Amino acid sequence: MARTTSKTLAGVAALVLVLAACGRGDEKAGGQAGADISQGPATGTITVWAMGAEGEKLPALAEEFEKANPGVDVQVTAIPWDAAHNKFTSAITAGQTPDAAMVGSTWMGEFAGMDALDPTPSSIDKSAFFDGAQKTTEVDGTSYGIPWYVETRLLYYRKDLAKTAGYDKPPNDWAGLKEMAKAMQTKAGAKFGIGLQAGGTGSWQTLLPFAWSNGAQLTKNDNGAYNFDSPEMKETLEYYGSYFSEGIADKEAPAQPTTEPDFVSGRVPMFISGPWMMSAVEKIGGADFKDKYDVVPMPVKKTSSSFVGGSDFVVFKQTKNRDSAWKFVTWLADAKTQVKWYQSSTDLPSVKSVWQDPALTADTKLAAFGKQLDTAQAPPTFATWEQAITALDTEVEKVARSGADAGGALKAAQASADSIGTGK
Amino acid sequence: MRSSVAAGRAAWLFVLPFCLLFGIFTAWPVLQSLFMSFTDTRNRDLRTPFAVEFVGLDNYAQAFADPLFRTAAANTAYFVLVGVPLTLLIALAAAVVLDKGITRFRAFFRLGFYTPVITSIVAVAVVWRFLLQDEFGLINTALGWIGIDGPNWLGDPDWSMPALILMAAWRNFGTAMIIFLAGLQAVPASLHEAASIDGAGSWRRFRHITLPLLRPTLLFVSVTTAIGYLQFFEEPYVMTNGGPLNSTISASMYTYRQFGFGNYGYASAMSYLIFVVIAVVTALQFRLLRERS
Repeated sequence: MARTTSKTLAGVAALVLVLAACGRGDEKAGGQAGADISQGPATGTITVWAMGAEGEKLPALAEEFEKANPGVDVQVTAIPWDAAHNKFTSAITAGQTPDAAMVGSTWMGEFAGMDALDPTPSSIDKSAFFDGAQKTTEVDGTSYGIPWYVETRLLYYRKDLAKTAGYDKPPNDWAGLKEMAKAMQTKAGAKFGIGLQAGGTGSWQTLLPFAWSNGAQLTKNDNGAYNFDSPEMKETLEYYGSYFSEGIADKEAPAQPTTEPDFVSGRVPMFISGPWMMSAVEKIGGADFKDKYDVVPMPVKKTSSSFVGGSDFVVFKQTKNRDSAWKFVTWLADAKTQVKWYQSSTDLPSVKSVWQDPALTADTKLAAFGKQLDTAQAPPTFATWEQAITALDTEVEKVARSGADAGGALKAAQASADSIGTGK
Repeated sequence: MRSSVAAGRAAWLFVLPFCLLFGIFTAWPVLQSLFMSFTDTRNRDLRTPFAVEFVGLDNYAQAFADPLFRTAAANTAYFVLVGVPLTLLIALAAAVVLDKGITRFRAFFRLGFYTPVITSIVAVAVVWRFLLQDEFGLINTALGWIGIDGPNWLGDPDWSMPALILMAAWRNFGTAMIIFLAGLQAVPASLHEAASIDGAGSWRRFRHITLPLLRPTLLFVSVTTAIGYLQFFEEPYVMTNGGPLNSTISASMYTYRQFGFGNYGYASAMSYLIFVVIAVVTALQFRLLRERS
């Protein structure tokens, strides 16, 4: 018994020592540029992680890089999206990261905060990319990696039903959009005029395009805090909420939306979403559905802006083959590679000049996405973004579903965001 | 003396693999998470797990002050208080019917009632979402036949939780039923026979013979069901994602979300709160349902 006690005491003492050793080190300042990379072809082995469909198609593209650089071997590991975030964080913790990887644009703040990413060398021309997309790679003034491909959100509408409702194309302003959505219900037999997400996870991606079009800034105090309760945000949320209170959008929409079939059947003939929806609605609508709908940029309040998402490509700090990894990433950002990648994956290029290529200009719907990308914006790359925006999603849901006051909702969201902080 | 020391040594050698595995994969994570719950650990600290600030009970205080955690706790209580009795009742009814009522195709029904337990929740969720659909769902269509305008189950904050409770009861009563069946078969037929000779009806025999003899079974089933339900997570995760208006977010799910946000310290503290609640509820059940001499 006595022995057990002394052992316990020793254990406690050891624990106290460990606790006494706790405490954070100093933080370091941002705004760095990566070291220059060497000249000449890439060599050695480059391990690369990529998610989803990109992970499956990247090996074929990487083969061309290997052809151009005979001494290099690019090993691509495809990982499913569901598992990706966990896999990255545990790899970073264990110091077992690949040399380079595709990273979801909203994870950049978190990974950079874990000190896992290598700053972009100055040899990569940052002005070649869409401005909003480039911003997704910048954390605290330092750019990590490149925007690899992009997506943005546009207004989808049914051309045939719009004609029935008396419109050739959607009006270009907020008031007009609402009129048209109403007309879709009264004249074109739609159950709901437009499909907007009634709050809940990810609804910010529908709300923020409106907010940015109204000139809202999501950060304040020189990037030191979230800014959810600005007058612009309030006006936006009031406008957004009015669609639900006036019965133009479905306030009781299920958590798993039925956007595509509703669009094809004409039940909900307008919605706001990204480029992947084109193939999704055409798959359900059949061969000639292509001509029955169109996409247009977000309607103007002060300007027309939208959300830019997509994925970035980064090089990890722990890489043993840094120069070759950066050469691979530089090659991915090359205009010719970007066209090829668009053709094999249909991912939209992040490099502006690529949009002049005939492969992209031929499709008018695609051109609309290209136009919107010029003004589309990215959310702030704070490590706590996902958490803060979940608080906003919750408040948006209160406005959309139960008609809560927009000002009060935004104050609550701001209070949550303030207590969460920017994670610095 | 010497041989007993050698035997002791041999014994330790044999249990060493277990002790190592248990120590590394069970005891250490438990201690580590307890430690984390008293610190401000975030995901970026994982590489240097001890380079964090010690914050005492701040995380626990924060949890009690967090309105969303309180909502989640209330939702979990609602789910447990309605869900556990409902599941037990359905299970007991099904067990009694299978034990006495149904004689033909008994194995078929037993399998049928048990199937939901072994079916993947993801597949179940897809089907239940169809069943619970507002306009064309089977449940509301059936209610329409008898003149009831069914609610928008998963879209209405007042009805989303009842819908999930219904689904959870359907999914879980099979396990309880199997155990009740075993318990029922252990009730001696001679007691029933004696009681019925004395003129006791079937309800009185059930009330005064079957139920008291089922007490240990009841205890076991209610404890395991309550522990499972207190950690209720899968149903809202696949069906509603906690919505609408956070009406179905559970304590476990909120904790999971906080882990996802990288707030490891805060999430660990909430896990320990759930652990304490489970321990208390289990102790209460043991008190209420223990064998009375």
